[in-house]
Amino acid sequence: MKTKFVSRRKLQLAFGSAVLTLLVVGAVSYRSLVESSESGRWVQHTNQVLEKLQDLLAAMQTVESNIRGYLLTGDESFLKVYRAGIAVTEEDQTIVRNLTADNAGQQRRLDVLATLAAGKFRLAEQVLRLRQTNGLEAAAAAIQQGSGKQSMDDFQRLVGQMRGEELRLLVLREEDAKRRLAQTKKVLILGTVLGLLIATVAGWSVQRDNSKSMDSGAKYRGLLEAAPDAMVVVNQGGEIVLLNVQAEKQFGYRRDELVGQPVKNIIPEGFAERLISDGTRTAAEALAQQIGTGIELIARRKDGSEFPIEIMLSPLESAEGTLVTAAIRDISVRRAAEKHLAQMEGRYRGLLEAAPDAMVVVNQRGEIVLLNVQAEKQFGYSRDELVGQQVKNLIPEGFAERLISDGTRTAAEALAQQIGTGIELVARRKTGTEFPIEIMLSPLESAEGTLVTAAIRDISVRRAAEKHLAQMEGRYRGLLEAAPDAMVVVNQRGEIVLLNVQAEKQFGYSRDELIGQQVKNIIPEGFAERLIADALRSVEDALAQQIGTGIELTGRRKNRSEFPIELMLSPLESAEGILVTAAVRDITTRKKAEANLLSKVEELNRSNEELGQFAYIASHDLQEPLRMVASYTQLLSRRYKGKLDSDADEFIAFAVDGASRMQRLIQDLLAYSRVGTKGKDLLKVSSEEALQQALLNLRGAIEEKGAIVTHDPLPSVLADEMQLIQLFQNLVGNAIKYQSPGIPKVHISAVENGGKKWTFSVSDNGLGIDSQYFERIFGMFQRLHKREEFAGTGIGLAICKKIVERHGGNISVESQPGQGSTFRFALAESERK
Amino acid sequence: MPIEVLLVEDSPGDVRLTQEAFREANKSIHLHVASDGVEAMAFLRREGIHAQAPRPEIILLDLNLPKMDGRQVLACIKEDANLKTIPTVILTTSEAEGDIVKSYQLQANCYLSKPVQLDAFENLVKSINDFWLTKVKLPQQRQNG
Repeated sequence: MKTKFVSRRKLQLAFGSAVLTLLVVGAVSYRSLVESSESGRWVQHTNQVLEKLQDLLAAMQTVESNIRGYLLTGDESFLKVYRAGIAVTEEDQTIVRNLTADNAGQQRRLDVLATLAAGKFRLAEQVLRLRQTNGLEAAAAAIQQGSGKQSMDDFQRLVGQMRGEELRLLVLREEDAKRRLAQTKKVLILGTVLGLLIATVAGWSVQRDNSKSMDSGAKYRGLLEAAPDAMVVVNQGGEIVLLNVQAEKQFGYRRDELVGQPVKNIIPEGFAERLISDGTRTAAEALAQQIGTGIELIARRKDGSEFPIEIMLSPLESAEGTLVTAAIRDISVRRAAEKHLAQMEGRYRGLLEAAPDAMVVVNQRGEIVLLNVQAEKQFGYSRDELVGQQVKNLIPEGFAERLISDGTRTAAEALAQQIGTGIELVARRKTGTEFPIEIMLSPLESAEGTLVTAAIRDISVRRAAEKHLAQMEGRYRGLLEAAPDAMVVVNQRGEIVLLNVQAEKQFGYSRDELIGQQVKNIIPEGFAERLIADALRSVEDALAQQIGTGIELTGRRKNRSEFPIELMLSPLESAEGILVTAAVRDITTRKKAEANLLSKVEELNRSNEELGQFAYIASHDLQEPLRMVASYTQLLSRRYKGKLDSDADEFIAFAVDGASRMQRLIQDLLAYSRVGTKGKDLLKVSSEEALQQALLNLRGAIEEKGAIVTHDPLPSVLADEMQLIQLFQNLVGNAIKYQSPGIPKVHISAVENGGKKWTFSVSDNGLGIDSQYFERIFGMFQRLHKREEFAGTGIGLAICKKIVERHGGNISVESQPGQGSTFRFALAESERK
Repeated sequence: MPIEVLLVEDSPGDVRLTQEAFREANKSIHLHVASDGVEAMAFLRREGIHAQAPRPEIILLDLNLPKMDGRQVLACIKEDANLKTIPTVILTTSEAEGDIVKSYQLQANCYLSKPVQLDAFENLVKSINDFWLTKVKLPQQRQNG
């Protein structure tokens, strides 16, 4: 409540005047009081002086009489009194001097007195000495002569003067005092009347003001009650004078429980103390220091629980003096929020430090407020070197500018545009080297305003990778264009992403007509399906199954004609994911050739089969009648030899011979054809065992000729066992047969021939062969000797040749007539890698 | 006591050769001849004109026969409870593995290929005689089939 300024002044004024009057009256009264006491004092004073003067005189007289007494009697006791008397006179003089210090005239008289006294004493001393030395007579004579009496009279007279003076002064003063008293009486009466008047006026005025302030008091109460905060009015004694309903609620008291109570009950510390005036300052000053500031204190509720508050003080003039209005705000929530904020800040700092990226927090002026250890590492600074510095030192361009608010938008808006997007910039380390970064911004509300947190990631590696990728891509495109095959690059959705000029040619489209189109348009079936990921497997898996294998499909040209193609797929990593590069080869000609080949092979097979059948049938069916002829001619020969004439014998002999030969030829022919038709698959066969079998088959011939057959260790080979035996049998048989008389020696060996092949050698010490016949001997039914010399149809080596060729090798001979022969052939080793 | 042998062979030339060979080997062999499968079965079953035919000790059977082929004859013989105990020797020009396997599957007692050479053939017949008609124990014949 504030009293109206005007009435306050009035009150002050009235108060002031009343006080003044009082003071005047008081002063005047005081003065008269003083005066009267003073005149009382003067009377006293004068009496004192008079008395003292009297004493002095008496003392002088005593001195005088004691001198005489001594003079007369010579009694020492008179001297004692005499000396004491001197002291007294001196003492009295001093006192009077002090008492009359203000009166010059008196002082002069005192001086004269002192001189007189001094003279007297000198004389007395003289006389005394005289008496002492010369006796009574001398001393009496001195006195007679002396001016003793004179000085005593003078002394007396002077004292009388002084007394007279004092009395005179007294009368004067008394007169004065009387006058003053009358004056005082006048003033007092006047003053009192005036005082009363003023008091009345003031009182009436105040009364009127009071009633006014009673109204504003009511208004004041209304405001108090309606205030949202708890309001408590406290007087200078620290007692609660007034409070509002909010205060009741906040503190849990009823009004009557608090009014009159010390405010300490609800605010234990910090409030009352600030108010109580102490010797060094007044309440007003104490208060003035608090006004306007919010003070944080602790308040206590009725139930004893405490809660933090903020009080705002303001003074309130009242009839009871300066009161203090305190607006009390419960700041528990604010405190909790502050605590929470501090906690969040703490947590935030923790996160910041732990972040894998460099984090830098910047305020709106572009200064670095906070950073984490990663940032220290990345930029090569220590924390103190950076905090407070401009972020431009780390990120020369692109960051600070984005933040600084300019005329067109605020920092918050500037920021909002950046949030979330990764911005690529260049950063600078302490060493001055620069490196590419990507920053991600996010705002951070703080007590200091909106800050910006920047997560900074060094993207040097990524950049290098991107560059590399771009380079690879460029190179790839180059390769693509230059490729001889049509190349089509397809993405995971089956769309053509890239193709080369060959592809344009092959499919009859121009590039733009194909890019973005579904690859199904040029390869209707079999390609897109293989790529599309389905629930069972990812694109990578789908692709992995296709990579490397050539897939035969059908391609479709722009003119709708179709042609056979072979795809070779390979994956291609790209920014858009895994792409598939397909090399598309037009295999029309190949297909034709293949078809041709197939048909030819079929034909060949058929013809072979026919041939085989033919050979079989021929031999077999020929055998039958031939057998008849041969058998019966032999029977004839047997039964009728010598029973008919010699011509008959000869004719029969030729017939028998012919038939036999024919039989043998047919048998050999059959054997030769069976090498192909009855040939078995090539398997791992021990050539040594095959040789043994062959030797077993030849044991008759070996024994007969006494042949010596030796061999080296022989390997396992890939062969048809029967035919291998046949081969060895034929060669060794020949070696034994074609001999000049002597012991046939045959040696079989095998040498590894690199590439897993073995070259076998069958060497003999037989007749040898002229080089011109080297080719011929492997022909069918070729013989170098007459039938009479050596038996045989000449099919043996032909069969050997056919067997060896069937095994993928060649047979050859090395020989010289009379030097023996070596037949060589190669077979593959058993393991085919 | 003659040894009854049934030869089932269609080629007269072969028949005569076989006869000559057996005559050389064993004079007490009585060689009966059936020139096709049907006749062979009639003989064995003593049907028709063969009602008085003796039961052969062994049967020499060619595979390639007109009308009823040798394989069928073999099958018939070996399915006949009465006839299956008669040793049936396949004597044929065929060396085909398939024929060999089939014959044994049909329970032929053995398989012989006719050699082309006369003397070899004669030796073979001798071997048959030595083995089947001398060494081998044959089941006793009942007088009434």
